[in-house]
Amino acid sequence: MATPILIVALAELYSERAGQVNIGLDGIMAFGALVGFLTSYITGNPYLGVLAGGIAGLLINMVYAFCTITLGAEQIVYGMAINIFAPALASFIYKIYFGISSTLAQATLMKVMPIPILSKIPILGPVLFNHTIIVYLAYLLVPFTYVFFTKTKPGLNYRAVGEYPKAAESLGINVVRQKYIACMICGALAGMGGAYLTTCYISTYSDGVVSGRGFIALSAVIFGRWMPGGVLMAALLFALIIYYEKTNMEECL
Amino acid sequence: MKEFLRMENMSKKFGEVYANKEINLSVMEGEVHTLLGENGAGKSTLMNIVTGLYQPTGGDIYLRGNKVKIESPSKAVKLGIGMVHQHFMLVEALTVFENIILGITKEKSIFIKKDAIKKEIQELADKYGLDIEIDKAITEISVGAQQRVEILKALYRGAELLILDEPTAALTDIEVEGLFKIIRKLTAENKSVIFISHKMREVLEISDRITILRSGQTIKTLNKKETEEAELANLMIGKELVNSEYKKVQKTKEKILTLEQVSFNKSSKHNGISEVSLTVGKGEILGIAGVDGNGQSQLAQIVTGVIAPESGNVLLNSDKVAKFAPINFINSSVSHIPEDRNKMGLIGNMSVKENLILKSLSKKRISAGKGFYLKRKAISLYAKEMKEKYDIRCASIDMELRNLSGGNQQKIVLARELEEEPKLLVAVHPTRGLDIGATKYVHDMMIASRDKGCGILLISADFDEVLKLSDRIAVMFEGQVVGIYPGENPPISEISLAMSGKAK
Amino acid sequence: MKMKNTLIKILVPILSVLCSFLVGAIMITLIGGNPVDAYKFLIRGAFGSTANIGETIVKAVPLIFTGLAATFAYKCGVFNLGAEGQFTMGAVTSIWISTVVTGVTGIPLILLSLTGGIIAGGIWGAIPGILKITRGLNEIIVSIMLNYVAVLFMGFLYSGPLREGSVPQTAAVTVKLGRIMTGTRVHAGIIIALIIAVCIYYFLFYTAGGFKLRAVGLNQTASLFNGFSVKRFMLISFIISGAIAGLGGSVELHGTQFRLMSGFGAGYGFDGVAIALIGQLNPIGTVLVAYLFAVLRAGATTMQVGSGMPTSVVDIIQALIIV
Repeated sequence: MATPILIVALAELYSERAGQVNIGLDGIMAFGALVGFLTSYITGNPYLGVLAGGIAGLLINMVYAFCTITLGAEQIVYGMAINIFAPALASFIYKIYFGISSTLAQATLMKVMPIPILSKIPILGPVLFNHTIIVYLAYLLVPFTYVFFTKTKPGLNYRAVGEYPKAAESLGINVVRQKYIACMICGALAGMGGAYLTTCYISTYSDGVVSGRGFIALSAVIFGRWMPGGVLMAALLFALIIYYEKTNMEECL
Repeated sequence: MKEFLRMENMSKKFGEVYANKEINLSVMEGEVHTLLGENGAGKSTLMNIVTGLYQPTGGDIYLRGNKVKIESPSKAVKLGIGMVHQHFMLVEALTVFENIILGITKEKSIFIKKDAIKKEIQELADKYGLDIEIDKAITEISVGAQQRVEILKALYRGAELLILDEPTAALTDIEVEGLFKIIRKLTAENKSVIFISHKMREVLEISDRITILRSGQTIKTLNKKETEEAELANLMIGKELVNSEYKKVQKTKEKILTLEQVSFNKSSKHNGISEVSLTVGKGEILGIAGVDGNGQSQLAQIVTGVIAPESGNVLLNSDKVAKFAPINFINSSVSHIPEDRNKMGLIGNMSVKENLILKSLSKKRISAGKGFYLKRKAISLYAKEMKEKYDIRCASIDMELRNLSGGNQQKIVLARELEEEPKLLVAVHPTRGLDIGATKYVHDMMIASRDKGCGILLISADFDEVLKLSDRIAVMFEGQVVGIYPGENPPISEISLAMSGKAK
Repeated sequence: MKMKNTLIKILVPILSVLCSFLVGAIMITLIGGNPVDAYKFLIRGAFGSTANIGETIVKAVPLIFTGLAATFAYKCGVFNLGAEGQFTMGAVTSIWISTVVTGVTGIPLILLSLTGGIIAGGIWGAIPGILKITRGLNEIIVSIMLNYVAVLFMGFLYSGPLREGSVPQTAAVTVKLGRIMTGTRVHAGIIIALIIAVCIYYFLFYTAGGFKLRAVGLNQTASLFNGFSVKRFMLISFIISGAIAGLGGSVELHGTQFRLMSGFGAGYGFDGVAIALIGQLNPIGTVLVAYLFAVLRAGATTMQVGSGMPTSVVDIIQALIIV
């Protein structure tokens, strides 16, 4: 449950660390979800789906990057524009491809990859080590991000760009390039987060499949104080709340 | 001694204006070379050229006798030129260590070899007596320590020439002593330093040679040993006596504004004022002379109610001000020509006429029913009247203000602030950035207001302006009023010295 | 000069709308459709019959409210992305009043309920405002988070305490806003919306308060130096913005939806921001753009059925208009 929120929150983390507040996550996710689903549907390979979702997210986020970095436009406005544009485009492509009134198309879901031995541990095993590879990768991304930002030189330069671009520039760091890279990472991760929904979580695509997870991820970043560990905690917490809410609703039904 | 840097006939034009005109400067190895000049004399422009931020319009730069071209800041770093900006270029959220290694590419590994580099930095720091706490965040260390980090940052990048822009501006006396020790160690290691300052005492203490700039040109390069304060002050200001075209008046009895021991942010020498006492009488201009950033902004904001003093009294027409809010001062008939007209005085995206009525919205002429209905026709008529009266040149009163020239924008401020015949006018840098014609217009209007009985507090970094207009002159230095002088036949040398911290 | 400026201000949005339709047409052609046909159906869907015209107006009402809410906040230089939450809380309060209050019926009850909506929206809008002014928190984030709180709270109500029957939704309100066009669902809410729009227009451009509010939005420092209380105006604009959205939620409840259920008010807040931006932050422009959005939506379904073009074409057109 927490995985897509986590991936997308990390996407936003990478973006905001370079000073790019992107509220278009929901839109990027929707587009990633569609492309991921289609790819997986056509090829029958959900792994390719996630990859394609990432590429799609990257591309669509370049619109945002171009407008905000190169043209210097308001980040919030263009984030909003992405939120409206990307899901519409996704929905359009879906309907063109499957026709308007078709029944829900099913694609293959990614298989669960239990980790040998570890998954056999009673109770903890199935909970922690019985997931798709994306889940493992998402959680591995947390320590990786932490190390990247605190222990490496590129990570340090990256943060400097977000905190005080003028100082970074005076030291010969290419601020514009760094910001574009940040937007690429953000788009790709958010797209994959979206694709996760349609390739690992449910096997269909429908409008509104993202249902505000992008905004929840945005909140998770702030709640997690812009640190990978904090973001992980926040994502888990939010997922728990949503899960509770959902089961509650289902009971009511 | 060998020459490290030589600049020949450096020129830099912005539009039609020369910021630097054929400047010559030579800096030796192991030398402390001071650039002395007023605000706007061209020091910053020249340094921006050396550090690769600006490209010169003309002239050549030689490093150790070889002609070089400095296209970018990173090129300057490669050539061994390091600069410590007046406003530090430190990333506050990062630690000292992280700031020092930021952007360095000399090692291949993407991981930071923390211990090895730390040792290297520590050795460098010890060599020059730079006392730093390497693992603290920038926000946790003092301004003096931040400056040491900046110096170390430049040295770690291999700087042979260090440019220090107003390095003592934010420091305490003890910290200044520490800085000078560091500078002496640097020059002992044959590194060169360009020192930018206008504080006479410091300049004479630390420099080997001094180059004076005025209006973008080199006036003279002097050896410290062969000069003295008075000579430097006169060269910097550029005149020994001025005859004002305006008649000066004697101090009047009736006081409009009185400050009694007013303090704000007392510990800061540059962003605060300390126990300032002064008066502005009816129908007189009190000019505040002083180099920018000696508390003038804070003084202006206190007497217009933008900020509240921490101690002391402010009296308007001998009534003590109880609540500091701009609206109270406006209602007490205090007008304000703020230091930055675009940021503080006017609203660029509103029309000329809207800017003209910003302060008179509740006047009967402008609106009815306590502001419930704005009389559009009356507003237009009023704006047209002001346009004629104050000679505001614009195609239409509905034009957006930002499309007007600086002079016309300032005329709008004047119209708004003077039309209601204020009792007190606080004018801060009223002619900054204006051409000669507009400047004269502003001056004439201020004198006319004075003659109508308005008391004026004039704050300006332009010494000429203060001399020309003031009936009395007060000098501010490091947040204090260090002297008050007559406006008629002012003792210029004495005032210049007071401005550089050498009051008698 | 003035004429020319006004002309440009009107022309730019119209041109951008036309361009977006053109791009939409190209897309339709690309996928083998006939744009003329598609647009014909679109227009028929929006204006084809009295009922259709009415439906378009009904769809425009909530958009006008949230659009005006966004406009009002933007004019003072603050971002209110929480209109959806304020809208929801307005509706929630109204349904609560309808359930709890006894002994009052008819017009007094509606007035009470709408007032409740205004107050609830205002309070919901005040939260990000207060947090921004006192704690310096980013109002965008706070207002978005509050959207979730509001929607979850509404969810709790219709699936819990206020649930009626087996479906997770509340009972219908007893008093409804009067229908004002025979043969359609058009209700008095549109009149309220238009009155509010005119009031805001008057306030912003004809009163000293509105003047100051705009000044604060354009240059805070200059406003402060000229004696305006910047923080107070920011808070007031948040409260009023929230109140407008809250009233919108209340009106939507009493005029169109009658009960709360999943999806009530979803997306209206963000649509409102988009509408306000396209409408050049002018209340009248906002009303027009809200109506245009409603036309597109009302027509989209007909177009989908009639010409086989998916409704998402319309969403894309909307997005392009913003860009």
